[in-house]
Amino acid sequence: MANKEMTKEMAQKQALYQKKVNKRKLSGSLEYTTARLGWQVTLALGVYFLFNALTKGGVWFAVAGVYLAGFALDFIATQRIIKEVTGDAGEISATTRKLGWLMLPFVFVGDFFMFIAGAMLIKKEKNMEYQLSVYSLLVTIFILVVSALNLFKEYVADTFWLGMGLYGLYAVLNLVIMSAVNKYTFGKKPDKKFLPYAYICIAGLALGNVFSFLLGIIALGKYYNKNEEVSVEWIDVIRRLFRNYMSCIGMFIVIFLLSVSIASVLTFDYDIAISNNFSVRLAAPSLMYPFGCDQFGRCVFTRIIFGARISLLVGMISTLAPCIVGGMLGAVAAYYGGKVDNIIMRILDVLNAVPSILLAIAVIAAFGTSTTNLILALSIGGIPGYARTMRAQVMGVANQEFVEAAKACGAKDGTIIFRHIIPNSLAPIIVRITMGMGSAVLSTSSLSYLGIGVEAHVPEWGNILKAGSTFLETNPYIAIFPGLAIIIIVLAFNYFGDGLRDALDPKLK
Amino acid sequence: MKKIIALALAAVMALSMVACGGSSKEETSMLETQPEKIVVLGQSSSEANMNILRDQLTKAGFDVELNTQPDYASWTAQKEAGNFDIALSGWTTVTGNVDYAVRGVYHSTGDYNYSPIIDTKVDELIDKGASETAAASVATYTELENYMITENAYILPLYASMKMQAYNNSLLKAESVFQPKSRPGRWEMYDYVDAANNDTRALTLTQASATPSTLDPIQANDGTMNTLSGNMYIKIINLSDDDEIMTDSSLSHSYAIAEGNSEYYFLLRDDVNFAKVENGEVVDTGVLVAADDVVFSLERASNKNSVATHKTYTLHNHMQSIEIVTDLSELEAKLDSDTGATLLETLNKGVEVPVAALTAVDEEVDNAAGTYQVVKVTTTEPFPQVLNYLAHQSAGILHKEQVESYNSKFTVESYDPTKDVCYGDFAAIKGGDTSMLWCSGPYQFVKVDDYGIDFVKNPGYMPEDEEFNPNIKTIYMKFIKDTSAATSAFRAGEVDLLGSVSATDVDVVEADSKFTVMKRDSNGVTYAFFNLTEGSKFNDVDLRKAVMYAINQEDFVAYNNGYVMPVYSTVGTLVNTGNAHVHDLVKSNEHLAAYQAK
Repeated sequence: MANKEMTKEMAQKQALYQKKVNKRKLSGSLEYTTARLGWQVTLALGVYFLFNALTKGGVWFAVAGVYLAGFALDFIATQRIIKEVTGDAGEISATTRKLGWLMLPFVFVGDFFMFIAGAMLIKKEKNMEYQLSVYSLLVTIFILVVSALNLFKEYVADTFWLGMGLYGLYAVLNLVIMSAVNKYTFGKKPDKKFLPYAYICIAGLALGNVFSFLLGIIALGKYYNKNEEVSVEWIDVIRRLFRNYMSCIGMFIVIFLLSVSIASVLTFDYDIAISNNFSVRLAAPSLMYPFGCDQFGRCVFTRIIFGARISLLVGMISTLAPCIVGGMLGAVAAYYGGKVDNIIMRILDVLNAVPSILLAIAVIAAFGTSTTNLILALSIGGIPGYARTMRAQVMGVANQEFVEAAKACGAKDGTIIFRHIIPNSLAPIIVRITMGMGSAVLSTSSLSYLGIGVEAHVPEWGNILKAGSTFLETNPYIAIFPGLAIIIIVLAFNYFGDGLRDALDPKLK
Repeated sequence: MKKIIALALAAVMALSMVACGGSSKEETSMLETQPEKIVVLGQSSSEANMNILRDQLTKAGFDVELNTQPDYASWTAQKEAGNFDIALSGWTTVTGNVDYAVRGVYHSTGDYNYSPIIDTKVDELIDKGASETAAASVATYTELENYMITENAYILPLYASMKMQAYNNSLLKAESVFQPKSRPGRWEMYDYVDAANNDTRALTLTQASATPSTLDPIQANDGTMNTLSGNMYIKIINLSDDDEIMTDSSLSHSYAIAEGNSEYYFLLRDDVNFAKVENGEVVDTGVLVAADDVVFSLERASNKNSVATHKTYTLHNHMQSIEIVTDLSELEAKLDSDTGATLLETLNKGVEVPVAALTAVDEEVDNAAGTYQVVKVTTTEPFPQVLNYLAHQSAGILHKEQVESYNSKFTVESYDPTKDVCYGDFAAIKGGDTSMLWCSGPYQFVKVDDYGIDFVKNPGYMPEDEEFNPNIKTIYMKFIKDTSAATSAFRAGEVDLLGSVSATDVDVVEADSKFTVMKRDSNGVTYAFFNLTEGSKFNDVDLRKAVMYAINQEDFVAYNNGYVMPVYSTVGTLVNTGNAHVHDLVKSNEHLAAYQAK
């Protein structure tokens, strides 16, 4: 009897242990993480579209059907991955990997989670370069897909076909780079033949494609690294960043919005975003107007796309500007200490005591509403925060031996601060920046919502939301979509920031 | 493999694009013009109108810059600084007569002629129309409209609003809620369904401005105080809901117009007393609102120098003299211009006890015994529309001694608004001087804070059994700046009657059976005026016409769900001139090109 209970307990422990082992195995599998999120999101969207189809019918049935089929496919793939990874073989079979090919086309209905899962599944050996090239391609395809929605409109921008053509070519170029990545970068050091591709990748930054840019500089960084045995630290940081799938998604969303802001110059018509058209006043979402129309008959979808430009521009500048000013003040204060520290920090304390949104309102009230003033208003309030972070960091670094060494060598203060101390204190600031951008976007929108941000007709997310808030009861979609856009970008920045913090944390190496 | 994928992807994309097809925007051929810079000034509350205007002007080849101001005060400051090319404004003809609709806005002496329009022909036509009877004046006002808008494009008509008011029908009796076309709401008529509420429950109304410009009737004529003043001070005549002259709830039993249309006689009531606030309570002063107060108030209104900031002088400058009639034979001798009967006969029709004697002394008045007071208003020229002006809030009757006790402390020339306190000074009242106001109307102003104003019924306002004795004891005027916030407050039950429902909210409010939305045409016109000060490029008629033809009133109608109507000028809601605004981008383009060619 006692024996039996013992074995039962043992079996339970055994099962528990096995479960933990399986869990660890699965969490280490990129195929599993991406596929799981893929089916979850696809299912949620599929159910939403099905609900839409039941009330509105028509094209929604087709969309729901596609999504639910995608869910089935991804779900089967996930189950197979679980079975095979935790099974005896411990690795995914070739048949399962082939399912990945089927998952790729779902990007054309907007499901990029499936695309990522598919791309991760089809290839057994994946390095960071491969992942970057996948994301880079995804951004390009996604821009094409989103821009292609304009085809349902009455007319398209004059430069639409030019833009689509160029982006189509860029997508093909991305594919070529992808194959080059597969060929040349799996060694310890990228092949020399990859160098031209690396330069092309770096040029991708002009289109806002940061993934492509990272791919390029990582390849160059690795290639020109003299000591092959020691890995380059910043490349390691990026590698650790790419281990966190959520932060990749965050990064993808931010970079997509950045790229689409640039692409929209060619493929979207600004007129549709600001020109009134009362024949479609308050039109419900349709293929022609994916997010519906507002009370002036302006396409909310187009407005949100153009709104990304302002939100990101204001968000980035009003984060970077106070970061530079605040960072320098903080560094100087910490390095010199004493009176200098006291004077700088007390002045910043005064600034800190004023609620930043009130300060912004005051600045705008004094100088009038414009994008420049908005940036100025949001920047000033951010300075003390960055100064404090920088000061704390520099105080720790300034006492270290290498700083002493630099002093002993007779380096000037400026050189010590900018060459030795600041680069070694940047990590927390970088994390703060990414987190700060989310809240800067939020502040921009808040101010516009209050009617003191940018001018009322300018497509800024807060403005769009404000226009929609009047119709929350009768036409909720006008407010829901800009609201979602704001939520998503803030979440994206936060996930990205989280991932970056983990990647920069020396304890988590 | 990779190549195949690449090709496949490219093919899918190309196919999907070709399949859907996408045509480029069509362009119409126009004359070559440079983007003409134009600054549009407006308040943030009219953001939507500004956006429509911006859109239309942009499409007509203008480079539009918006100057959005948060409130009326800052809008006025910008307007006075000249920081605009066109400014959005609104006009409501609260007196219900055409003269008012044109004199204040277009006449070179008009208080609301902001542009300013200085044109002798306009002035002549306005003066001509004023002296004519209603039927004869139509031609004159049509000519004025043609000259002002068609030929010169002095203002930009946008639309005429509908008046929409909503009330809680489970709370207020439907027959007690009126919706006058021009005059302010009639507070004394409101009546609760549950009569027990009348003495205990405060009726909550709402208005946007928390800072009425003044509570002296003649020192302002704007949305911040019209309703308040209209219910605080009695007039000798009133307007009906449809702008007909009536004596209901006025200080007169009856009135008569003597032959020649220059002399107007009013037979006064003796049952209205002034009220005042004493220790926070409203008390009857026992002082009769009598003929001498009428003479004082109307003389004050028609004298340009009675106060430093006289904002309603143009309404009352046609009054030559105001006298108390003591000689009964004058009424027996003169004949009524309408019926030909004697004035006395006409006046007697309004009273039970015929007029036996007239007096100038307040204490002797006793209508029940046949002793009455009669006031005679003589106009500078035959001017039948003077009755509309006498029905306006600015002709409200004040107490002579009370007003003088404040206004005699300084002279009009030396008046310094930052230091001197004149009668009706809102800042002083808010500061605690609530005993300043002696109200002759149905409601007495009690106190104000940042959130609203308390009113209590005037205990001396007509006998209890009289129809116009106020039903509800207390009225609370709540300040809610934002229209949509006011609507929300109304729907949440915090406000009982919503004076104006925006076009976007009508359907939502109507969906609730608890609420009734009343709709009617109004005299409210939204228009834009040009900056016509010296040096402004809009002194050029071609440029103004380019702007005028760019306006499409249909867009405003569409935006407001059809709850507004096209209009040609502020005259349009009162006189049918047959004019309609034309939207024509080709003409606009021609005029713009013509201007730029100069």
